[in-house]
Amino acid sequence: MEFEPKIVAFLCNWCTYTGADLAGVSRLKSPANIRVIRTMCSGRVDPTFVMKAFDLGADGVLIGGCHPGDCHYAEGNYKTLRRAHMLKKIMRKYGIDEKRLRLEWISAAEGDKFQEVTTTFTETIRSLGPLDWRKRIGKGDRTEHTVAV
Amino acid sequence: MKQYRLQVMVCAGTGCVSNHSFELKEALDREIKKHNLQNETEVVYTGCNGFCGAGPIVVVQPDGIFYQLLKVTDIPHLVEEHLLKGRPVKKNLYTPPAEKTPIPKMADIPFFSDQTLIALRNRGMIDPEKIDDYIARGGYKALAKVLTSMKPDEVMSEIKASGLRGRGGGGFPTGVKWETCKKAHGDTKYVICNADEGDPGAFMDRSIIEGDPHAVIEGMIIGAYAIENVHQGYIYVRMEYPLAIKRFQIAIQQAREYGLLGKNIFAKGFDFDLDVRRGAGAFVCGESTALMASIEGRPGEPRAKYIHTVEKGLWDCPTCLNNVETWVNVPQIILKGAKWFSSVGTGDVSIDPWGGSKGTKVFSLAGKVNNTGLVEVPMGISLGDIVYKIGGGIREGKKFKAVQTGGPSGGFIPESMLDIPVDYEELTKIGSMMGSGGMVVCDEENCMVDMAKYFLKFTQEESCGKCIPCREGTKRMLDILERITIGEGTEEDLLLLEELSNMIVESSLCALGGSAPNPVLTTLKYFREEYEAHVKNKKCPAKICRQLLTYTIDQKICLEIGHGCGVCKKNCPDAAIIGERKTVHYIDPVKCGKCGACYDVCNFNAIIIE
Amino acid sequence: MVTVKIDGIEVQVQEDTPILKAAEKAGIWIPTMCHSELFEPYGVCRLCSVEVIRGKRTRIVTACNYPVREGLTIQTNSAKIQWIRKIIMELMLSRWPNVKVVSEMAAKLGVKESRFPSLERDEAEDACILCGRCVNVCREVVQAEILAFAHRGIKREVVLPFGDQSNKCIVCGACAHVCPTGHIKMVVEDYKGKKPEFTLGVKTPISVPTLQAVPRVPVIDTESCIYFETGGCQTCAKVCEPQAINYKMEDEIVEVEAGQVLLTTGYDLFDASKLAQYGYGRLDNVYSSLDFEAILNSTGPTGGKVVMKNGNEPRSVGILHCIGSRDVENHPYCSRVCCMYALKFAHLVHDRTDAAIYQFYIDMRAFGKGYEEFYSRLLDEGITMIRGKAAEVVERSHGINGDGSLLIRCEDTLIGKFREIPVDMVVLCNAIEPRHDIEAIRRIFSISKSPDGFFLERHPKLDPTSTMSDGIYIAGCAQGPKDIPDTVAQAGSAAARILSIIAKGEVDIDPIRAFIDEKYCAGCRMCNNLCPYSAIDFIDDKKISQINDVLCKGCGTCVAACPASAITGKGFSDAQIFAELEGLLAI
Repeated sequence: MEFEPKIVAFLCNWCTYTGADLAGVSRLKSPANIRVIRTMCSGRVDPTFVMKAFDLGADGVLIGGCHPGDCHYAEGNYKTLRRAHMLKKIMRKYGIDEKRLRLEWISAAEGDKFQEVTTTFTETIRSLGPLDWRKRIGKGDRTEHTVAV
Repeated sequence: MKQYRLQVMVCAGTGCVSNHSFELKEALDREIKKHNLQNETEVVYTGCNGFCGAGPIVVVQPDGIFYQLLKVTDIPHLVEEHLLKGRPVKKNLYTPPAEKTPIPKMADIPFFSDQTLIALRNRGMIDPEKIDDYIARGGYKALAKVLTSMKPDEVMSEIKASGLRGRGGGGFPTGVKWETCKKAHGDTKYVICNADEGDPGAFMDRSIIEGDPHAVIEGMIIGAYAIENVHQGYIYVRMEYPLAIKRFQIAIQQAREYGLLGKNIFAKGFDFDLDVRRGAGAFVCGESTALMASIEGRPGEPRAKYIHTVEKGLWDCPTCLNNVETWVNVPQIILKGAKWFSSVGTGDVSIDPWGGSKGTKVFSLAGKVNNTGLVEVPMGISLGDIVYKIGGGIREGKKFKAVQTGGPSGGFIPESMLDIPVDYEELTKIGSMMGSGGMVVCDEENCMVDMAKYFLKFTQEESCGKCIPCREGTKRMLDILERITIGEGTEEDLLLLEELSNMIVESSLCALGGSAPNPVLTTLKYFREEYEAHVKNKKCPAKICRQLLTYTIDQKICLEIGHGCGVCKKNCPDAAIIGERKTVHYIDPVKCGKCGACYDVCNFNAIIIE
Repeated sequence: MVTVKIDGIEVQVQEDTPILKAAEKAGIWIPTMCHSELFEPYGVCRLCSVEVIRGKRTRIVTACNYPVREGLTIQTNSAKIQWIRKIIMELMLSRWPNVKVVSEMAAKLGVKESRFPSLERDEAEDACILCGRCVNVCREVVQAEILAFAHRGIKREVVLPFGDQSNKCIVCGACAHVCPTGHIKMVVEDYKGKKPEFTLGVKTPISVPTLQAVPRVPVIDTESCIYFETGGCQTCAKVCEPQAINYKMEDEIVEVEAGQVLLTTGYDLFDASKLAQYGYGRLDNVYSSLDFEAILNSTGPTGGKVVMKNGNEPRSVGILHCIGSRDVENHPYCSRVCCMYALKFAHLVHDRTDAAIYQFYIDMRAFGKGYEEFYSRLLDEGITMIRGKAAEVVERSHGINGDGSLLIRCEDTLIGKFREIPVDMVVLCNAIEPRHDIEAIRRIFSISKSPDGFFLERHPKLDPTSTMSDGIYIAGCAQGPKDIPDTVAQAGSAAARILSIIAKGEVDIDPIRAFIDEKYCAGCRMCNNLCPYSAIDFIDDKKISQINDVLCKGCGTCVAACPASAITGKGFSDAQIFAELEGLLAI
């Protein structure tokens, strides 16, 4: 059976979550690998959530926020951007391919973009293969072997 | 101050400067150095002496030896003979016409001895660019007196009592003008000196400014003090007087440095300053409202004066405008008293300010008299005295015909009226005016129609063109006069000319138009027979109007003296002259265009004009 | 008040009134050619000369500017005055024999011909008579100071600066208005090669903005008003008795506190000149739908008549659908209303003229109630419907027969042929597009717009009138192209939503708030600056931070940042999210 990655998506309530809704209303097909957690703002996404998600077996994490300047809470998405940079550094240290985290600005009107992002991200993760991070840490294998794309 | 044995006063008025008086000074300095006289002889520039016809003029003080018509080449001899050896050079002294003995001393020359100097008291005596010279001659003493010991009202009543009247032409009593300005409502008032002297042949204002600028400034400060609430004055000088502008600017700068202009003059809490405004040389800008418009930066056009400028003048503020000569009289009146001033002149001004003409008047004497130049005469002197005594009579012993006073707007006065006194009312009565003081003498060789045409052409060209009578009317008058002078005039034209002239006088917007027909009206009145000769007989009695003349060649002169030179034939534009070289020449009357070229070129006076 | 006697008639006027006005009051006519009420008396024609007698003194003065004083006696028509006027008229006649105002005035004053031959004779009927009215109006009223006199005396003339057109001239036309001879003319020129744009006819700077304006008060157009150009004129203020003219009134920003906002900012019309092939702004008689709407309006520039620029009725009219809409290069969406108004235009043109009417459409969308029936009716009226988008509009060249000065080229997809239809007039059905400033408005209200550029509704089916921001509603073409019934319905819905909240008197807010547990807060203040709403304060006494419940919007930014995990987001606590994660990833 083909590998079906588990992807956690933290979506901001005002833009990306609504965009996802629009994608649904617009009958746009998006991969079933995406498991959505709604937060009020992408700025609510604590880096621990991401690491926890990997720990609990997620193969990829998608953070969706509003376009710069459009944040419902003025500037929450800028903080997210900062945290995403930091997260990628941490992931490198833990031996996780930084491609497994993706930050995207998707507005409420961009149902089609949501579809496109989720589809391509799923494909990326699929090509990276399973992470199985907990197992690997148990074995003392701290480096992920990146699969050539 | 250094004392000199001799002072050589070189006239630096515009007339003498244009006759190379600056070069004379250079030559004098050079020669004096050569003879090592520089420690005992000083060469000074002075303002205009007035005897401009005799320029360039050099006066050697303290004896007052008067040299005229000097050339640079005369200088070495003059320095050697006079400055070194003390022998005046006879050749360069003034000799009255028809006499043989020269008059060495300036004071003995009739031109000078018959004048009374108030406005021109400093002429030839001071260096106009040195305030100390002016002060040494009693300058700014009147201002000191006014500021330290007189109230404004006292100054005012002194001027009123003196009977001083506007020297610019109108003859409005100065005291009355000042008083009206003082009473006019307004916190800001101005005084203006009208130095826009535009009359052809008149140059007394220029001469005063160039010779004695501080006297004008002093008069204006006193006026500003008397009128009160005046802290700024303007001197409006035409651009054509660059030297006058320069002298004014130097004088104002010096007065400021001496604390005579600016804030808190004489520590008496009185502030007043002056500025020079340059006019672009439009004749009409001598008219007060046009002058003020020009200062304000608008086109120099007059406006109706139903509300006087003393009430609403410059920038709608009460403004007192006086002529250069009027202002210059003020310090002298203050110093010497109203009584002294009013003792000179005609009539009685104690009750009616218009009751007489007091003090002196400066005239610029020009035309066919022997002594041309600037003269200052007491009011009441007869015109005849000016022409014959001061002017030295008519040139070349010709016959006097008329004298024209008051500039282009004045009238012609015939010989029968030569004994009338110089007085505002008298001159106006006979159709002329005092004007700013131009005086042109005409002799028998002047055609009155041509003279009237000349002056009218000037006013017509200088008309601003604002109102119809002046713009259209003067042009039509000129058209008629031109027709008359080329022999196309009719008797109806004379009547039409008279009617149009009278109408223009009555209905023009300003005084320029209102007085422009004066030369025509007075000549029509006093010399009508000349007009009639032009119109009826198609002849010009004075032989001036070329289109009315016939030209013939005196055969005897042409052949015997000129030997049929043929110059006239060569120069005739109409090819109207017939005759081979070395034979008698004739003029074909049909072809002759009456241009007069033959007359001008004939070296033997063989052309006869009839 | 002073009493003066004019030609024997006593009249009482204010002191300093000019004689001319006093005479007017006494019913006495005084001739004048340079005078105007608009500016200060100029006093140059001298025709108004009168004799003023004061005591023994008699003076000749001009009536236009001589101020009257008590006890003046004035003669306006004495023999002397008649003589002066006569010669003035002779002088004028000799120079301008054919100017109507001059010869009329001369006739009035009994002057038939002039005794003066003139070299400056100007035979023109509209010669400048140098009255100076234009110069004065330009200087004193308009205060542009463009026109002035140049040269002196007989050479005097009215000139523009340096004798050339000046860009300082505001083209107000005041000089032409006051010119008594018609010497000054207003000429309409092509502006940079472009034809003057369609305007709603002659308009003065003061006008009532629209016929149905409420309140019905005129306004000043600051772009064309002389006062706003030069500071001059102010004629309206002078004539307004209640002194209601206020030049200082400006557009101002009024701050209104509101709990809810309904955005109905409307639409812009697609600029058809972007599609050069249709010739809008380049060819005569090519109009946008809004221009044509003005032409059809009974209060419009043509009074509702369908006429071309030359005033003639068109022989044929082409109506082009989908200009800028249903067009991948411009707007892919359908503007919805065009089909129906195009049919309305066709109906009205058919009603008012005998013109042949052609419709060029891609698809006919008569979607509303009664619309399809209207379409059928139109077909019965004889309107020619051509299925196919017009390719271009050109000027008709010679050799093509037909009634029309323009030529529409298109492919008729029903018959599969290329066609050229000559018409006299073309009406373009421009697309409806979002307002040019919609982006700025969107940001102010923190709402989104859809890919087509209009405001985005909260839900396309379930909530088409509210937005993602609480209390912000949208209606009409701000949300998307729609016709009047749809707009009314949407706006009604929005109003009802708003009213329901007002009626309730209170607002439900989301309970999502952050909360700091005092026990764990170390007082590091990291959260203080992070909060975009400044809802977190540091309490100095307790050395801890505290969240203001009213200001907090519950975004959770602080929750994520707190190093001590002292902050909890209600509804989105760490524990809840971890639980969600576990739940999600368990399978």
